[in-house]
Amino acid sequence: MKNLTDFKTRLKIAKERQKSTHKNEDNKGNLSSMGGAFKLSTDLVAHVAVGTIIGFILDSWFDTKPWLIIFFFFLGSVAGILKVIKVAKRMQEKD
Amino acid sequence: MATNPMHQFEVYRIGPEIKIAGTDLSFTNASLFMLLSALVICGVLFLGTREKKLIPDKLHLISEIIYNFIAKMISDTAGTKAKPYFPFIFSLFMFVLFCNMLGMLPYSFTVTSHIIVTLLMAIFVFIAVTVIGFMKHGFGYLKLFVPSGVPMVLLPLITIIEIISYLSRPVSLSVRLFANMMAGHTMLKVFGGFVISLGMLGGWLPLSFSVALTGLEILVAFLQAYVFAILTCIYLNDALNLHH
Repeated sequence: MKNLTDFKTRLKIAKERQKSTHKNEDNKGNLSSMGGAFKLSTDLVAHVAVGTIIGFILDSWFDTKPWLIIFFFFLGSVAGILKVIKVAKRMQEKD
Repeated sequence: MATNPMHQFEVYRIGPEIKIAGTDLSFTNASLFMLLSALVICGVLFLGTREKKLIPDKLHLISEIIYNFIAKMISDTAGTKAKPYFPFIFSLFMFVLFCNMLGMLPYSFTVTSHIIVTLLMAIFVFIAVTVIGFMKHGFGYLKLFVPSGVPMVLLPLITIIEIISYLSRPVSLSVRLFANMMAGHTMLKVFGGFVISLGMLGGWLPLSFSVALTGLEILVAFLQAYVFAILTCIYLNDALNLHH
């Protein structure tokens, strides 16, 4: 079979070509719409949860119950909403 | 015979109890299915790429499609600089995908429906990305937390918000996969229970629902593996090409 050696050289050429071509460096997360929806919802919840947990830990360190937990709860909410806006904007840009 | 829908998530021991230094290291059904998915992945890829053929067979085609899919995803999201991390992301994707898909078989166990498994993978990704970021940029990586063009008054607040945002990555990554798998499997079991309790007369409606849900679950199983891998790529991109 001469085709098989042919195949090997073709493979080599393809590998060379892959090395030389550089894909565009800028990123756009290519989420499908359902994956995007899951991402937005869990991001919002996770930010609030993480903010509250940080507040709780700092409260027990500095003995300032309940002020830091309240402060960080709101900060977490702000962070979550900002993140969701950022991601949604990026999704819109792509369409 | 309506069983508890949460019964399927129970972890039990298979074989003898193994205790090393007070830690329970027994072989459980969770370990069995993790091992099984690793073996299936190795089997598919090994048999698929055993020889270079001119006309590929099915396994060959499947492994090439998956390879190209992940390679394209990495170069699209994280650029050519992320090429060295291909093996890691490929294994992560394959492991999550096969754990999800093996969980779709009746009587099997879904490893990814346990938060400890997904959290461990997410924390590993989180630590790896942080280490890579510091290795590539030194302390310049901390610039990630200080966006440019923010007034000085707001800077401390924005920095705290960015830190919360960074720390919530592993949480959202793991909770998404775990919650999707667990909710989907519970729902399948609940509709299955309806079929039995409504009997021959009314059981057809929930039965058709569970057929549709099975299709949806297979979609979700693939999608969540994809989302897990692509978010890893996005975090890697943040660590490699620092531009904010």
